[in-house]
Amino acid sequence: MWGSFFRMGFRVLMRQKNYFLLNLAGLTIGIVAFVFIYLYVENALYYDRSWKNYQHIYRVNETYSTGGKAEKMALTPYLLADTLKNNFPEILQSTRLFFTDPSDKNDVSSVNYRGKMYDIPNLTIGDARVFKIFNYRFTEGNPDSCLLHPNSMVLSTAMKQKIFGSNPALGKKLKTSMRQYTITGVFDNKNRPSHLEFDAVISITSLDKQEQKQLNTNWFWLNCYTYVEFADTVNVRKFTQRVNYFTDTAIGKFVQKQKIKINGYMHLAFQPIQDIHFSQGLLYDSHSNINVTYLYIFVIVALFILLMASINYVNFATARSLKRAREIGVRKVMGALRKQLMRQHISEALILTFTAFIISLSLVELMTPVFNALVNRHITLVHSLFSGSGLVFGFLLLLFMLLLALLSGSFPAFVLSSLQPVEVLGGRGVVFKTKKRYSFTAAGLRKFLVVIQYLVAIGVIISTLIIFAQIHYVKNRPLGFDKENVVVVNSPADTSFRGRVKGFVAALQADSAIEQVATASSLPGYLTGKILVSTGDSTDGHMQTLNSFFVGYHYFDLLKIPLLEGQYFSSVTENDSTEHFILNEAAVDFLHLKHPIGSYLYTPMAKKGKIIGVVKNFNFSSLHQQVEPLIFVLSPQYVQYVVVRINPAKRQEALAHLQATWNKSNKGYTMYYTFLDKKLDTLYSSDQKMLSLFFYFSLFVIFISALGLFGLSAFLIEQRSKEISIRKVLGGSEKQIVFTLVKEYVMLVLIAGLLISPVVYFFIEKWLNSFAYHIRLSIWYFVAGIVLVLFIAFFTVLLQALSMVRKRPVEALKYE
Amino acid sequence: MIETKRLKKVFKSADIETVALAGIDLKVEEADFVSVMGPSGCGKTTLLNLLGMIDVASSGSYRFKGEEVYSLTEKQITRLRKQNIGFVFQNFNLIEELSIWENIELPLIYQGVKKAERKRRVMEVIDRLEISHRKDLLPVQLSGGQQQRVAVARAIVTRPHLLLADEPTGNLDSMHGEEVMNILDELNKEGMTIVMVTHSHHDASYSRRIVHLFDGQIINENLNRV
Ligand SMILES: Nc1ncnc2c1ncn2[C@@H]1O[C@H](COP(=O)(O)OP(=O)(O)OP(=O)(O)O)[C@@H](O)[C@H]1O
Ligand SMILES: [Mg+2]
Repeated sequence: MWGSFFRMGFRVLMRQKNYFLLNLAGLTIGIVAFVFIYLYVENALYYDRSWKNYQHIYRVNETYSTGGKAEKMALTPYLLADTLKNNFPEILQSTRLFFTDPSDKNDVSSVNYRGKMYDIPNLTIGDARVFKIFNYRFTEGNPDSCLLHPNSMVLSTAMKQKIFGSNPALGKKLKTSMRQYTITGVFDNKNRPSHLEFDAVISITSLDKQEQKQLNTNWFWLNCYTYVEFADTVNVRKFTQRVNYFTDTAIGKFVQKQKIKINGYMHLAFQPIQDIHFSQGLLYDSHSNINVTYLYIFVIVALFILLMASINYVNFATARSLKRAREIGVRKVMGALRKQLMRQHISEALILTFTAFIISLSLVELMTPVFNALVNRHITLVHSLFSGSGLVFGFLLLLFMLLLALLSGSFPAFVLSSLQPVEVLGGRGVVFKTKKRYSFTAAGLRKFLVVIQYLVAIGVIISTLIIFAQIHYVKNRPLGFDKENVVVVNSPADTSFRGRVKGFVAALQADSAIEQVATASSLPGYLTGKILVSTGDSTDGHMQTLNSFFVGYHYFDLLKIPLLEGQYFSSVTENDSTEHFILNEAAVDFLHLKHPIGSYLYTPMAKKGKIIGVVKNFNFSSLHQQVEPLIFVLSPQYVQYVVVRINPAKRQEALAHLQATWNKSNKGYTMYYTFLDKKLDTLYSSDQKMLSLFFYFSLFVIFISALGLFGLSAFLIEQRSKEISIRKVLGGSEKQIVFTLVKEYVMLVLIAGLLISPVVYFFIEKWLNSFAYHIRLSIWYFVAGIVLVLFIAFFTVLLQALSMVRKRPVEALKYE
Repeated sequence: MIETKRLKKVFKSADIETVALAGIDLKVEEADFVSVMGPSGCGKTTLLNLLGMIDVASSGSYRFKGEEVYSLTEKQITRLRKQNIGFVFQNFNLIEELSIWENIELPLIYQGVKKAERKRRVMEVIDRLEISHRKDLLPVQLSGGQQQRVAVARAIVTRPHLLLADEPTGNLDSMHGEEVMNILDELNKEGMTIVMVTHSHHDASYSRRIVHLFDGQIINENLNRV
C-alpha cells in the first residue's frame, strides 16, 4: 500500500523538479548550519570533561590586590603546587605548567632535527606530574616518568607526525639554539578538547638550578598554572578558606623576610576544570576560552535557521497544494479518500526530508575541515555522533525530520481534503468563495511565517553590521601612539645577546630604510608586567602595584608617544647610574602626585628612582579596557624586543636589511618578528571570530530567506497571474503592476524590521559595553540592515513579477 | 477606426490545431456600433481579443486608427490600448482582492486621473448601473448579474474610444439588460465606437451593423438601422 504511494510520490517530485530542488536546497542548508552549530556547542560543552576524575580537578586562580585595586588571574607562583600537595592531604595530586605566550615566540619554539627546522607553535614547561592529572593516552613512552629528567621533551601525536613522520620518536634528539632535548613520550590529544593547547612539554628540571631555587621561594612571581586533584570528599568552599589562611601566613613570613610593606592581599580560588572554557575576565587565561553568551546566541541562531528552513518547506507545500485544490476536488468526487490524499502528500514529504537529511550529513562531513579552520577547533562528525550525547542528537534530528514531513505533508492535505467537493467544484461563485476563504487563511499564515523569516534575517544582519563597525573602530581608533610601520623583533633567548645589542642596533641604523631603533621589554599589545612602588621616602611607604614597561632610550620618540611634562629617556646620558621613571597621566592620578617631575618613587629592594617625565595616556592594552596607570622604567640592558621603525616606502629593503643584520649578529638563531599593528589586531581575535561567525550566519540566513521568498513568490505570483493580466488590460503599466506585487513584501519587511530592532538594540548594546571604547549606536545601522533585506526581498519578487508581467495577458485570462 | 485583413488565428496544442479565425476582413468606422453574432465556439471571443490587442493573430494585418498594430512594440501597444480601448469580458474578470469601487476606479488610476475627478466619474457610472449601494463589497459577494454590471461600469468609466463588450447582458434579467443596452446606445450616440458580442437579437437591434461569424469566418454582414 505505502509502497505505491512512495512510487507515486517519487514520480510527482521528479515531474516538479524545480519545486523539489528548491525545497531540497533550503532544507539541506538549514540542516547543515544546524548540525555545525550543534557540533560546535557540543564540543564546547565537552571541553575538559575527558579527564579521568575531571569533576575533582581544579585550577588554582589568584586574586591579587594592592592599593585597593584587585586583579584576578589564572597564574599562581611556581611554589604553590608543591606547597599545597605537601601540606594538605585532601589534595591527591598537583601539577604546574609554565605560562607561555604562544603569540610571542623566540628561538626556543623552533627545533632542529637532522638539519631541518620545525616550529612548535605551543610549547610549555611542566613538572613530572602533568600527565598524572591530564591522562592523555601515550603512543610512545611512559606518562609517569617522561618528564622526570632534565632536557626531556614530550610531543603531541600531530607534532611527532610533523617532525618524524611515521617513524618512532622515542629517544630521538631535538636541538634548539642552546640545548638538546630527548623525546621521552608522545601523547594523543585528538578528540580531547581542552583549554590546554600545548603541542610539546619540556621537563621543569631542565631549568637552571639557581632559577629553580629562586622560584621555589618567591610568592610574588606569578608564572605558573597550578592544577590540583581533590579527594572525593572534599568540600571545596571550606577548603578554600583553610588554604587562604595558610597562604596568608606563608606570604606574611615571606614579606617580612623581604622587608617590604604591602597594603593588599593575595587570595586563591579553585575553579572546576570544566568551567575554564567559559571563564572570562581572568588575566593570562587560555586564548581558546569563549563567552557563554556567544554559545546561547549560536543555539538561538541554529534553532532559527532550522525554523526558517522548515517554514519555507511548509510554505512551499501549502502554496503548491492550493494549485492542486481543484484536482483534489475532482478526486474527492471520484471517491478518493482523505486518508489516501494525506498519505500521498506525506510520502512525498518523507522522500524530500530524508533526501535532505542524507545530503546534509554528507555535506557536513565534507565541509568539516573548512569549519574547523573557521572556528579553530578539531571537530569530527563521526566522533561527535558516536560519543556523549551525539546519538541522542542524531536521533532527535531524525525524529524532527519525520515530524516535519508529517506536518508539512498532512497540513495542506488535511485542510484541502476536508473541504466539501461541491465547494471546490460547484458554481463559479462558490469556487471563488471557498477558494477565497481558504486562500485568505493560508495567505495570512504565510505572511506570518514570512515575517518571522525577515525578523531573523534583519536581526542577524544588523548585528553583523554593528559588530563589523565596532571592530573596524577599535582597529582604527587613534591609540595615542603611532603603530604603523613598526617592526618588533624578538631577541634570542640567549643572555649573550645583551652584549651584542649595541652593535646590532648600530648596524640596523646604518641603512636609510630604517628610521629609528629602540629596545624594550614591553610594548603596547603585549603582556604587561607589574611592579610595586611607593611614594614614601622609605620602605615604610605602602607598596602599590603598577603596570610597568621596561624600555630603552628611544622608546617614546620611536612610538611617537607625546610628552606632557619633563623629558623623554633619550635625554638621559648613558653613564648616569640613577634609576629613571616616566609615568603616564593615569599613573600620576593613581599615585596622587601633585608635582611628579623630579619627585622619587621607591621599589621593594629599597631602590629609588626619579620621575623625569609624564606622557599622555595611550591605549597600551585592548580597547575593552580603559587606560590604566603605567610606569616606564629606563632599563637599556633589559632587551626582550628590538623595535624598528621603517620607512614605509622602502619596506622590502628594510626587512631584507633587518634579516641580514640579524644573521650577522645572531648566527644560528631564527629571527621572529611581527608588525606592531598586526600584533595589536590580535587583541580582538575573539571579537573578530565572532564577526566572521555572524557573517556566515548572515549568509545562511539571507540565502535561506531569499530562497524561501523566491519559491513562495513564484507560486503566489503565478496564482495572481489572472489578476496581473486584468490589470494589464485595464491599462496598468509594467512598472505599476510590479509595484503592486512588490509593495506587499516591502510592507512585511518593514514590519519585521520594526519588531526586531529593539531586540537587537538590547543585546548589541550589552556587547558594545564590553568595550571601554565603542561606537555610538546610530539608527543608521538599523536602517541599513532593513534596507538590505528590503533590497533582497525586492529583487527576488521583482524577478518573478517581471517575468509574469511580460507574458501576454490573454494566456491567463482565457480560462478561469 | 479598425481595419483587419485576412486576420487568422490558429491555436496549436501538442496534437491538434484549432483554426479559431480563418481570415477575417472587418472594417469598423469611427462611432460605429457593431454586433458580432454566431454559435458557440465560432471565434467571437477570439476576434474581440485580437481587436483588443490582448492577443496576436497568427497571420494577417490589423490597422488601428491608421497604425499597423503588429509592427508596434509591446509598450506602444499597451499605450494604444490604455488610451483607446475598454473591455467587458465574457467572464467579467473582476479583481477579487479589490472592492467594487476599487475595481471600477483602477483604470482611471492607471490613466493618471486625479482623485476628485475619479470619484466623480466612478460615482456617475455606478449610479447609472445601480450598483452604488454595493460599492464596498468584494466581487465574490455579488451575484453574476451584479458582477456583470460592475464589469460594464469598469469598461466605460474611462470613456474609451472603442468599447469591446463580450456578451455584456448575458447574465442580466431583461430589465437590467435593457438598461445596459440604453447606456451603450447613449455612449455610441456620444461618439463611442462599440463592438459587442451577443446571442440576443434584441440587443443586436441596438447596433448599426451585425456581423455573423461561423467557424471562424464572416458569413454575412448586414446593416441594421441607418
Ligand atoms: N487558448 C486556446 N487554446 C486552444 N483553443 C482555443 C483557445 N481559445 C479558443 N480556442 C478555440 O477557438 C475556438 C473559438 O473560441 P472562442 O472562445 O472564440 O468562441 P466563442 O465564439 O467566443 O464561443 P462562446 O459563444 O461559447 O463564447 C473554439 O473552438 C475554442 O475551442
Ligand atoms: Mg466567447
